[in-house]
Amino acid sequence: MTMTKAFNQSDLEAYLDEALPPEQMARIEKALRADPRLIGQVSAIHSRRSAGVHSLGDIWRGGRLSCPTREQLGSLLLGVLPDDAADYVRFHLEVVGCRYCRANLEDLKGQQAEGRETVQKRRRRYFQSSAGYLRH
Amino acid sequence: MSNSHQSDKLLIGRIRDGDADAWNDLISQYEGRLLAYVQSRLRDRAAAEDVVQETFIGFLTSLPNYDQRRPLEGYLFSIAAHKLTDFLRRRGRRPTIPLAPEGTSSSGWQPDAGARPASSIVRSGERRGLEAAAVTDALAEQIDHWRGRGQWEKLKCIELLFVRGMPNKNVAAALNVSEQTVANHKYEFLAKLRTAVRKQNLSEEVFPELYQQQ
Repeated sequence: MTMTKAFNQSDLEAYLDEALPPEQMARIEKALRADPRLIGQVSAIHSRRSAGVHSLGDIWRGGRLSCPTREQLGSLLLGVLPDDAADYVRFHLEVVGCRYCRANLEDLKGQQAEGRETVQKRRRRYFQSSAGYLRH
Repeated sequence: MSNSHQSDKLLIGRIRDGDADAWNDLISQYEGRLLAYVQSRLRDRAAAEDVVQETFIGFLTSLPNYDQRRPLEGYLFSIAAHKLTDFLRRRGRRPTIPLAPEGTSSSGWQPDAGARPASSIVRSGERRGLEAAAVTDALAEQIDHWRGRGQWEKLKCIELLFVRGMPNKNVAAALNVSEQTVANHKYEFLAKLRTAVRKQNLSEEVFPELYQQQ
């Protein structure tokens, strides 16, 4: 199998959106450095999008149409999601590898672990660095 | 409209009025998930925090153009993705991807026979938005339908086919079903979506995947 064939169209579209799991993003980046044909492939997708040709995967992923809610992810962590729904959410996280839902899950898990003071300090920093852009 | 979407709309309204407490609330609500998203790629806490900081500044500077029909979380993630991409380019980890010159396609991905090259169907931003919205609605309706009826296998199957781009054979193996079952789900899904697209009077060439070989 050549490098160019190692990634399918959807992988490359998701790569452009920073939507793949980190390990897959890294694999594609490595391949892009080694294979100019792959650059051509990604470039063609980029051009197509600029011309307005939609892919169903783009629309589905961009609209996060099958993502569970944050409440459902919380219920999964608490073990109170019904079995069939929990099975789907795990599939979405692990097999589809939804990066946004993984981030939400990590955040929910980390809320208990991180100290309140650390979080407050970080939030103050975000606020102070950005509040000047608020409309006055 | 969901409760969270409604409360986000109210929050944004207050932020647009310059309410600093509302801005603080938004930061508190979203920074954790944004940080997790960015850090999963960078493995560098300080750099990840800088990217999230740029994301919040980017949100405020783009606020006049923000369409409130778009979910806030998705919008914030998309800004974070752009900021992260810029950061990775600056670090030399992520190559710059040029637009392909007109008429070239080294990908072999241009729509199959019968479809026109992208350059011939350049359309206005407004038109593109309408097309995407129509398909989004049709997809969302279909996904709700599967969920409501507990048809999880169909949802998983179509998600692997169209979001992950897996071939039928691999989807069958991943879900432990026959290739014929995958083909049947795909056929049914495409037929329903084609009907929805036709109802909206959208051009076939906009969504070549709907007319591909089964």
